[in-house]
Amino acid sequence: MTMKIGILSKKTTGMTGLMREFFENAGHTVKIYTLKDLCINEALFENDFYVLKSKKIVYIYAGHYLEKNNIPVIPNPNTIYNNKNRIEAHYLIKQTGLRLPEFYYGKVQTLKDQLKADDFPLILKPIMGSGSRGIKKVISFDDLEPKNDQPLYLEKYIEGTHYLVYFIENQVCILEKPPLSNEHVEMKKILLNDNNEDIQEVVIKWKSYYNLQFGHLDIVREDNTNKIYLVDPGSFPEFSNWWYDENPTPKICNLILKRYEDLKHNNHKNI
Amino acid sequence: MSKVKIGIIIDRYHLEQKATEFLKYLKLVANVSLYIEESYLLKSFDSTFDEDLFFVKGKGDLILALVKLIEKETSIPVINSYKGIWNAIHRFMNSVLLKKAGIPVPDFSLIPSEYPPPFESYIIKNIIDQKNYKFKPNIENINGAIKVSDERALTEMYNGFYGDMGNYHYLYYQKFIKSEWEYKIYIIGEDIYFYKQIPVLVNPNKMESRRKIAEIPELKELAFKAVKTTGLKITSIDFLQNKNGQFFLSDINCTPNFNYIKNGPKIVGEYLIEQAKK
Repeated sequence: MTMKIGILSKKTTGMTGLMREFFENAGHTVKIYTLKDLCINEALFENDFYVLKSKKIVYIYAGHYLEKNNIPVIPNPNTIYNNKNRIEAHYLIKQTGLRLPEFYYGKVQTLKDQLKADDFPLILKPIMGSGSRGIKKVISFDDLEPKNDQPLYLEKYIEGTHYLVYFIENQVCILEKPPLSNEHVEMKKILLNDNNEDIQEVVIKWKSYYNLQFGHLDIVREDNTNKIYLVDPGSFPEFSNWWYDENPTPKICNLILKRYEDLKHNNHKNI
Repeated sequence: MSKVKIGIIIDRYHLEQKATEFLKYLKLVANVSLYIEESYLLKSFDSTFDEDLFFVKGKGDLILALVKLIEKETSIPVINSYKGIWNAIHRFMNSVLLKKAGIPVPDFSLIPSEYPPPFESYIIKNIIDQKNYKFKPNIENINGAIKVSDERALTEMYNGFYGDMGNYHYLYYQKFIKSEWEYKIYIIGEDIYFYKQIPVLVNPNKMESRRKIAEIPELKELAFKAVKTTGLKITSIDFLQNKNGQFFLSDINCTPNFNYIKNGPKIVGEYLIEQAKK
């Protein structure tokens, strides 16, 4: 069956472009809505379903708007928002029982007044996070600078080895990455073995708990304790460092189509 | 019998400008602790609170985070809840939710600023109603078409709202509803209070024309439905009425100024104590 698919994405290239190519080759019609032309109104009802690729707030709004009007959105906008908002993400991780870094949140003067020297080092992260943008290591009070009088979110810095871990269904792809880097830098491929079984267990627990088809996690193995911390979940990566031979795009697109069929089937059942 | 303990989560603006009478009353009848946004350090590992209830008077990010922490880590009730505040400040989201719940809202749209307005007569409002500055409308009447833009919305647009919009500028449009009166409904738990005033676009001094009115059953039903939909317990809701007599919910607020209700601070205080004792 031919479908009309909308992709909510800030860009037309990368994974978004590849998904468009896949869906079009399969006979579907695809329209990408970037921030230049996304108007959130009834005109969006023209598509059968949407792929929510971007985490920016207008896309979250668009996703909710579509869902409330019975148009499926994949992944679910709540999942995307909760991964992006640091506070929500903290409790999302905590709920699973996985280990995670603690955080402080306060205005600059409050932080300067109440933090102690041995609370450092910390990681400054934007409250609405995406990739490595705006993230910096804070080693002393001097690094705390006010920004628009907004409170600052500071996470305990875990000294250790940093990993980016992709997952698509049951396939897990582990990479060692430079601390605080984004998804696109060069990384070291880590083969799955007994030494990283604990990382694989984190991934399995995370994806099962939230019934996720794909995604990625930033994980740190602490030097002193060898303990694993889940520091940042992500819902829709570019998979730019995916190291399996098999191209991830068809897998992702087929999972999206399958999720759409499931949602459609469940909606009909509910009616 | 010992007094209940109520935690007030507040920002300095509300503390200094809006809550004096309320706190004066509350301190007579309850033990009160203050959590002030500007001086509170939230620590994810510290959730040892001994309050019986929290009341929120503010809507900043730190306040929201603290409410989330209390809701996640304790069983202490918080009024208003995280969900209620979030829904109230995200204007587009509450428009979507309220419309879906069958509550008439003016037509609305969220579009890039370069696009032409979707309605002939409209109000441009801020997308996220989180800051403590007042509605400051610029009003144009072009051949009978009313075009209003709230200065807050334009500032927000140029600054990039929510910190992640970069150079992309969006505007929230609400279709303009011409109404003789603006109906202001306050809800405090199960209690409801009805007022009307000349719309602020006509007379910016809202209190000059504000008067208490008798209950309007239709508005009562819509207001309680709105409260249920958004998750708010204490709120003020604005309605407009078009020439055909239909009401439209134009605004919903999670930090209402209950000083405008006769004995408002006492009514809110009593409600909180009653909830704390449950």
